[in-house]
Amino acid sequence: MMLTFLLACPLVGMLIILALPKSAVQTIRNTALLSTGGALFLSLMLLSHFQPQLTGVQFQEHVLWIPQLHIYYHLGLDGINLPMVLLTTLLGFLACFASWSIKERHKEYYALYLLLQVGMLGTFLALDLFLFYVFWEVVLVPMYFLIGIWGGGRREYSAFKFFVYTLAGSLFMLLGILALYLHPNGQTFDMLELAQKGPAFPLAFQRWLFLAFFLGFAIKVPIFPFHTWLPDAHVDAPTPGSVLLAGVLLKMGGYGFFRIAYPIFPAAAQWFGGTMAVLGMINIVYGAFVAMAQTDFKRLVAYSSVSHMGFVLLGLSSLTPEGMNGAMLQMFSHGIITGAMFLLVGVLYDRTHTRDLNAFGGLGVQMPVYGGLLIFFSLASLGLPGLSGFVAEFLSLVGTFGVWRWQTVVSVLGIVVAAAYMLKVIRQILLGPLNEKWRALPDATLREVCSLVPLLLLTVAVGVYPLLVLQLQDGALRQLVAHVLGHPLP
Amino acid sequence: MNIVLFESLSAWWPELILSAGALFVILCGVWTKRTQPALFVTWATLVAAAVALWQVPVPTATSPFFGLIICDPFSYTFRWLALGTVMIVTLLVTGSRDIEPDAVGECLGLLLLIGVGLMVMAESVHLLMAYVAMELVSLSSYVLVGFLRDQRSAEASLKYLMFGALSSGMMLFGMSLLFGLTGALAFPDLLRATSALGQPAAGPLLVALTLLLVGLGFKISMVPFHQWTPDAYEGAPIPVTALLSVGPKATGLALLLRLINALRPAWPQLMWLFLGLTIATMTLGNLVALVQTNVKRLLAYSTIGQMGYLLIGLTVNSRMGLEALLLYLVAYLFMNLGMFACVIAVVNDTGSEALEAFRGLAARAPGLALMCAMFLLSLAGMPPLLGFFGKFLLFGSAIEAHQLWLALAGIINSAIALYYYVNIIRLMYSAAPQPSRLLHVGASLRLVLGICTAVTLLLGLFPARLLSALRTATTITLL
Repeated sequence: MMLTFLLACPLVGMLIILALPKSAVQTIRNTALLSTGGALFLSLMLLSHFQPQLTGVQFQEHVLWIPQLHIYYHLGLDGINLPMVLLTTLLGFLACFASWSIKERHKEYYALYLLLQVGMLGTFLALDLFLFYVFWEVVLVPMYFLIGIWGGGRREYSAFKFFVYTLAGSLFMLLGILALYLHPNGQTFDMLELAQKGPAFPLAFQRWLFLAFFLGFAIKVPIFPFHTWLPDAHVDAPTPGSVLLAGVLLKMGGYGFFRIAYPIFPAAAQWFGGTMAVLGMINIVYGAFVAMAQTDFKRLVAYSSVSHMGFVLLGLSSLTPEGMNGAMLQMFSHGIITGAMFLLVGVLYDRTHTRDLNAFGGLGVQMPVYGGLLIFFSLASLGLPGLSGFVAEFLSLVGTFGVWRWQTVVSVLGIVVAAAYMLKVIRQILLGPLNEKWRALPDATLREVCSLVPLLLLTVAVGVYPLLVLQLQDGALRQLVAHVLGHPLP
Repeated sequence: MNIVLFESLSAWWPELILSAGALFVILCGVWTKRTQPALFVTWATLVAAAVALWQVPVPTATSPFFGLIICDPFSYTFRWLALGTVMIVTLLVTGSRDIEPDAVGECLGLLLLIGVGLMVMAESVHLLMAYVAMELVSLSSYVLVGFLRDQRSAEASLKYLMFGALSSGMMLFGMSLLFGLTGALAFPDLLRATSALGQPAAGPLLVALTLLLVGLGFKISMVPFHQWTPDAYEGAPIPVTALLSVGPKATGLALLLRLINALRPAWPQLMWLFLGLTIATMTLGNLVALVQTNVKRLLAYSTIGQMGYLLIGLTVNSRMGLEALLLYLVAYLFMNLGMFACVIAVVNDTGSEALEAFRGLAARAPGLALMCAMFLLSLAGMPPLLGFFGKFLLFGSAIEAHQLWLALAGIINSAIALYYYVNIIRLMYSAAPQPSRLLHVGASLRLVLGICTAVTLLLGLFPARLLSALRTATTITLL
């Protein structure tokens, strides 16, 4: 029942907020904070009771939902979705804290925010394809409103583009889900059962369906050339929206590969490996170079997200335990680091109302705490050893180097360019002469620092002792690799 | 003979009550010129008809009225859908400012007659009975479309009439050809006769069927017989538009299904025709809806697109397709009527039918905007609403029948349709240019919105009961 309670926490919070009068702003904020805090607490309890050495899914909930189609309300936790659930609840709580900077229509905002939280958690917890699809789509509507109403710039256009683009991709995924169920070897929506039946599907069928699911996930990750919605959506979203978009929604795409595409279509996953490696490489290098060219701070971070997700793809393509561990860890680590980066962008934007990198300068003296945090997270983003980003990227590269050599070699170029643009950001914002306009800027407030410090501690902890996360996921990932390759690992 | 008549009447009480009630309501409307008596009689009739429908034996022991109609589970479902539609449209008529008070009685009377026509359309197993039922619905609709006293409404009514008359004529011609080929008018006899027909008759049979399809296609707004839809919908009073978008479509599909079942041997040739027409209907409806600025016209084209999806369930000719069609019909009924209730609320308040009237609605009526957004998302096929589940089953039936192109056309059109559905949501939630005052929604509209919201959301989350109830209706019998 724990998992349903986990889902119920934000849902109940949303219903309470809908019942509150819209003038009770502080009560609404506190309710939202309590709901997301409750979800975080529950997920930490699940973590403490989780046993990584056990194979299979834990905390399962299996209730018949639509008997005529063999659809079940099936939730479960294992090494593949536990890090994602923890990431979602943590970022959900911290971004809720950061949402206190929202200035209007609080009731609708927090209600939509909590609905988004339910959708994201449900996507990671669902073990039935129909339920997964429902939660996957449920995420879209609140995000559309969050960007379209509380965003900036061309928010309506960006929200619309995000919505339609993502939905179009997931409609192909819907056809894949239906085709799986209707195939004589399928006849079920359950992900675990389908994974067992996976190797028995004919190769052509596996390939076509892998591509159908690939389209749905590729738009979410996002994989070049399906990434064009991302810069607009990230830039025009409000700060907490960007944090969740970059921190969690992108991971939903990567998670889909781990949970659905790879286990159910193992032969197709192997067949697609080379292409996946090339796509990962393109993401890394292209994303990095485009980020280098940006003058808008938020846009730069958005493109750096594209670049970092490339490492997830690279690790996935390797089909080795190291590579897969690196990919999964990169999803977790990138979620934390990019979440923090967007929070930092928000702190600056709230004060200066500009994101133009050329407009800043010398803020390191004016806002030392902010400067310190910015330097820390920029270094984490570029993959400084000792921080979580490095471990993840290193594992991905090591895993893929043996399998897809030249793609890995070219990808390393992306790390160099990442260093270039991140240091450029530090230089343009923090160093150099102080622009007189910003003479009176206040430093980061306690609320803003409190939303960043947990992420900082986690980044250092995972960077210094990666087993914290790796021990949770390694068992499940090794099983996955053995399943896809068709033979136990040596 | 007496026994047959007695049993026929005992199965036909709902339609009898509605017919008598209709005539009485028209008299009330003409004599008193006030809405209260007419409304009272209408509701009394509807409630009595509902009770009668609940008690009616399904299926009947003997064939009612000597084989003209059939009361099987399939038609039972559609009779309930027709009654439900008429009830909700009555509420919409009450809540709308379109129809003038002195004409409401006649409007309601015609509405009840349309209800009878819809029920009989779903029950018909004889070509002439089908024609009579269709004409009952059509003629009453022609009048109702022209009920507003302005030029646009009169023009719409005339267009509808001309188009409808032409289609009916062609359909009759097709029926006569069919009679000439097979010597039969009743569906069971048609089935026997077409099975026995040889190869030389295949050409003329196809011609006869195509002509029949003209008439039925006109009723369900299938491309290329959809031309009347935008103009008729735009000119009619909004409750009438709501009725036209749901009632005749549902029972038209029921009749089409029965006809196809009766002409099963000819299906292999017909299938290609239907495949092309389904994809054309979906695509044209959704593409042209993209450029509309009048909300009634937009919903007209949206209806054409939705008919395309429903036709998928028909084209695949399988049990799953039929289940999907029935479920999506139920979903479509409630979400479309809900959407029209929202349109009525907005038009009542702003007096404008342009899409721009929706701008800033969220600030003026948050509950209304939320429900409107929900109906639009259900029409677009977003989970966890009932519209999504219906589309899920429809596309599933297409894949099961190995009609991949149908499924692909379906999802591509769903993505296209999202544009204009979400556009309205965007308008509602964007800031209004001038300072806004609250929008008050009348009681009858609230009732409609409540019912439709409950069905769309709750049945969307828990569709199992509905699905099992509809499964019993999927056996179409002819005898």
